[in-house]
Amino acid sequence: MNILQAIKMAFKSILGNKGRSVLTMLGIIIGIASVMTIVSTINGYNEESLKQFEAMGTNKVNVSASRYDGKNVFDELYNYCNSLGSDLVLGVTPNSTFSATVVYGTQNSDVMSKNQDNMWNDDGTMKTGMVLPPDMYFGSNQFAACNNFTIAKGRDLSYLDVQRYKQVCVLGARAAQNFFNYADPVGQTMQVNGLPFTVIGVYAEKDPDSSWSMDNMIVFPYTTSRYLAADTSMTEFVVKAASASATTEVISRLTGYLSGQVNDQNGYFSVYSDNEWQQSSNDWTKTMSLVLGGIAAISLLVGGIGIMNIMLVTVTERTREIGIRRAIGAERRSIVVQFLIEAAMICGIGGVIGILFGVLGTLIAGKLLLKMTIFPAAWITLFAFLLSVALGILFGIYPAAKAAKLQPVEALRAE
Amino acid sequence: MLIHLENVYKIYGESLESEVRALDGVSLDIDRGEFVAIVGKSGSGKSTMMNVLGCLDIPTYGTYLLDGVDIRELTDRELSHIRNRQIGFIFQQYNLIQSLNVLENVELPLIYQGIGTDKRREMAEEALAAVDMTDRAKHRPAEMSGGQQQRTAIARAIATHPPIVMADEPTGALDSHTGQDVLRFLQELNKKGSTVILITHDNGIAATARRIVRLADGKVLEDRVQEVDWL
Repeated sequence: MNILQAIKMAFKSILGNKGRSVLTMLGIIIGIASVMTIVSTINGYNEESLKQFEAMGTNKVNVSASRYDGKNVFDELYNYCNSLGSDLVLGVTPNSTFSATVVYGTQNSDVMSKNQDNMWNDDGTMKTGMVLPPDMYFGSNQFAACNNFTIAKGRDLSYLDVQRYKQVCVLGARAAQNFFNYADPVGQTMQVNGLPFTVIGVYAEKDPDSSWSMDNMIVFPYTTSRYLAADTSMTEFVVKAASASATTEVISRLTGYLSGQVNDQNGYFSVYSDNEWQQSSNDWTKTMSLVLGGIAAISLLVGGIGIMNIMLVTVTERTREIGIRRAIGAERRSIVVQFLIEAAMICGIGGVIGILFGVLGTLIAGKLLLKMTIFPAAWITLFAFLLSVALGILFGIYPAAKAAKLQPVEALRAE
Repeated sequence: MLIHLENVYKIYGESLESEVRALDGVSLDIDRGEFVAIVGKSGSGKSTMMNVLGCLDIPTYGTYLLDGVDIRELTDRELSHIRNRQIGFIFQQYNLIQSLNVLENVELPLIYQGIGTDKRREMAEEALAAVDMTDRAKHRPAEMSGGQQQRTAIARAIATHPPIVMADEPTGALDSHTGQDVLRFLQELNKKGSTVILITHDNGIAATARRIVRLADGKVLEDRVQEVDWL
C-alpha cells in the first residue's frame, strides 16, 4: 500500500466522522492559534523596536558633561574624539535641544506648540494630522552621522558653517513638510527668534510612522547658540562609535579622558550607551516570549493529549475494522501508517485553521495592545504548521501501535 | 497437497484448570480443487479450525503446511501476505467496512497487494459483475440488504483470485432463498477450480459439499465423501 493511498484512506475516515474530527481538531486549533498570536505579537513588537533603534542610530555613546564654572567642554571633546581616529569614532556632536520661535510665511512654531496642548483625544489616543512643533537642536557638522540622518536635498552643516557662526539650518523631513508643504525649502529663509536663518538642506525621512516623528526637527550650528539661546549651556553630547565592539572601547576611553577634565570639585559627567538599553530590551522580549510561549505550549500539549485520547477511542471503536483489514491482508505496518496519517492529517488540518485564527489574533493583538499592524512572520507560520503535524504523529504513535498489536482473530471477535 | 494438518492442537489457557482444547490433535489433508464442508455444533472447534486454516491464528502444537510452507515458521508479515494472496474470506456477518462503499470494499485487498488504481478498479468491477452487484458499486453497506452485503463480501473474497475460498457460516444471516444463491455461487467457484472450505453447523448446507469433515470436541469425528446436492 503506498502513501498516497493511505492519505486518501485517512481523508475518507476523517470525513466519515466529521463531528469527532472537529472536536479533536479544536484542541490543536486553540493551541496553535494562541502560540502563533503570542509569538508573532512579541516578535512583531521586537522587530518594530529594532527598527526604531536603527533609526535612532546604533553604537551611540551619550556623553553628559557640565562644569560649574560654565566652561564649555565640547571643543576639547571634539578634538579628543577626532584624535581617536575613524577606527573608533565616526563623529561627535552636541545634542542639546533648545526652544525658539521659528516662523516661515504663515507657519509659526508657537502656534504649533498650542496644538501640543490638545493633541490627545478624550479616550487617550493621539489625534491624527496634528502639526506639532519641531525639536530644535544645536549640532556640529557631524550631527547627521551621529544621529543616523542622511541628507536628501541641498547640503549638510559644514565645518566652516560651525566655525563662522553661519546663520543656516538643516530641516528634518517632517519639519520641512510642516513649514514648506511641498515647496523646496533649500535656499529659503526662516525667522528664528527674529533672526534670518537660511535653509541649506533637508534630511531624508527615516521615521515616517510615529506621531512623535524623529524627522520633526531642525538643526543649527552649535556656535549660533550665542545668538539664539545665550543662556543655554551645552551639556549633552553624542559620540558615534564605529562598531558595537568599538562602543565599549570608546566608553572606557571617554570615561578616562573626562575624569581628567571634570571632577567632583568642578562639575560632573556621565558616559553611557544605548546599546546596553537595547540589549536589555531584547532580553525582556525574549523572556516574555518564553513565558507566554510556554503557557501557550501547555495548551498545545493538552490539545495533543486530546488527540491521543480520541485516537485511542477510535482504535477501540474500530477494532473490528482493524480485524477485517488484517484478515484480508493488511500488514501491521499498513495499520500503523493508516492511524498515524489520520492523526497527522487531523492535526495538520487543525493546524491550518489554527494558523488562520493565529493571523487574525496577531492582527487584533497588535492593534489593541501595541497599535501596530503585525503579520506573523513566514518562519512562525511554517513552524506552527510543522509543529501541529509533529504533534499529530507524536500523539498518534501510541494508539497506532496499540491498533497494530491486535491479533487478527481477536480483533475480528470485537463487536 | 494444498493443506496438510498433522496433530494440530489449539489450546487456550494451557495447564490451567480451565484449559480448553479447541483443537485436540486434528490431522487433515485437503487437496487442490476440493469442496470441503467442516461441520460441527457450536463449541466443536470449527471456528478455531477456520481461524487456523485461514492463518488468522497459529496452532499451539502440530504442523500446518499450506502449499508446503510451515505456517508456524512464518512472520506476521508473511502471514498477512498469505491471507492477502492465497485466501478469500467470506464471513457470516459479512465484515464489510461501513465507511467505504461497495467498490472500495472490494478494492481493499487489491490495495494491500499494491495494485495500481486502474488495474484495481478493473479487477474490482469484474468481481462485482460476477456476483451481479455492478449497479450497487457506489452504495454503502448499511444501505443494502443482507444478501447484497454478502454478495459484496464474496466479490471482495474473489477479487484477488485466491486459490482458496473460506466461508464461515456464509448463509447464517440470510433467508433460505438468498442463502441458496450464495451456496450455488460457491459451487460454481469450485467448478472453476477454486478450493472451497465451507464451515457450518447445518447438515443441509453441508450437503452441497462433496466432502464432509465432522468435528466434535476439537476432534475429527467423521471424514467422508458424498453425493452432492447440486443447486
